Amino acid sequence: MTEIGEKKELPDVFIDPIDMSELDRGFRKEIQSMPNGEELSACFACSTCTSACPIANIWEIKPHQLIRMIILGIREKVLSSKEIWLCLTCFECQERCPQGVRVTDIFFDCKNLATEEGMIPASIVALGKELIEKGQLYTVTADWEREDLDLEPDVPGLSTDAVKRVLGSTRTGRLVKGGR
Amino acid sequence: MSTYSVYIGCSVPANYPNYEASMYKVAELFGLTLEYLEDVACCGSPNLRAMDYWGWTLVNARTLAIADSTEHDIVTPCNGCFGSLKDVYHLLKSDTDYRNRINAELEREGLEFRGTSKPRHFIEVLYTDVGLESIRKKITKPFDGIGIAIHYGCHLLRPGDVTEITPEILSELVRVTGADVVEYALWKQCCGATVLPVDEALAIRLARDKLKSMKDAGAAFATVVCPACCNQLDLQQLGLRESYGEQFDLPILFYPQILGLALGLDEDEVGLGMNRVPAKPILQHFSK
Repeated sequence: MTEIGEKKELPDVFIDPIDMSELDRGFRKEIQSMPNGEELSACFACSTCTSACPIANIWEIKPHQLIRMIILGIREKVLSSKEIWLCLTCFECQERCPQGVRVTDIFFDCKNLATEEGMIPASIVALGKELIEKGQLYTVTADWEREDLDLEPDVPGLSTDAVKRVLGSTRTGRLVKGGR
Repeated sequence: MSTYSVYIGCSVPANYPNYEASMYKVAELFGLTLEYLEDVACCGSPNLRAMDYWGWTLVNARTLAIADSTEHDIVTPCNGCFGSLKDVYHLLKSDTDYRNRINAELEREGLEFRGTSKPRHFIEVLYTDVGLESIRKKITKPFDGIGIAIHYGCHLLRPGDVTEITPEILSELVRVTGADVVEYALWKQCCGATVLPVDEALAIRLARDKLKSMKDAGAAFATVVCPACCNQLDLQQLGLRESYGEQFDLPILFYPQILGLALGLDEDEVGLGMNRVPAKPILQHFSK
């Protein structure tokens, strides 16, 4: 039990100051130039997004902190964070933002930038590989079930070549080939 | 009546032919003609959006452009496909520069996005174009007020300014069958499907919490309108016996299966035997 008046050991610094020289001041503009990023600067850090997020309590960096870090230019830490890939994409944060910041959309933008720099989970690259090699994410394995219901045996109308052709020339194609 | 261009996606036909068949049978009963869109690409899911935004918009713009040439609205039973198509549609309608860049690419395939064919979820077509009154008139085997919990699915409802779908659409559609809608605390919560490739344990926990919330509120059945949500709530439910030592025995039905039964279709016509958690107990709940 702590005695009254007893000196408790406190850390030298409560909050590590931000090293201004390490900030990437262009990051805010970079995100704002991406789809649905325009409203980023309207964030006043109320943390409604964090309150709305079903899994924010297991995130070390909370949604409102990620948004603040983008505005400040803490680029590397945002793009290398595991949190952006753990986003459920449920849009609860975005839906409730009183300032109209498209939070979930902005995390999608971050994931695109992270991917461009090679920071992408292997399991997501594997899905890209499925799209490039098979042209679809799911293939019919039980065609007798379709037959029982008088449905045509394969996925109706799907052009696997179209997927391979289109995504083969975009970032997905480069990613799967091993480049960036 | 009306004709629609169906974008069936890949998950529904590959994993849930019972959803596809029940949708077609229900549509037929209301005189809706559903024609599969030909030569269309997979929507890529939110995971493609995460790694390759440009590629994701391009494949989906291509599908929308093909639908434009049919002059019918584009209808899908999958929340994932709906979310992708509607988001890209919204983007291309509101951002002229982006649309011009996309159309420059599509021109090489002889296509152009014009935005005349609107992407719509099948349940919204039932609600808006058929209407509750017409549906009510055709119900021959109403349910006895049995409690059904609704899992809407995130990409059906949000972002609301893009999807333009409100929860009432599905809750009214469930009520018109004679069933009761069970309210439960976690009704808005995500099923966890999107993070499944990145963190399986988290995804399963989200599905488990959802099922527990439904069950605790007294739901006897639950309904979904998305194959990814069904994977999480129906298929994963079987695994929860081992991972959590919990057995919910909560049958998960696609909405057109429920409506189909109330319209007099038999259990085989809606593929009831294919639901992973046995769904046949619902046959004990007709009011007559």
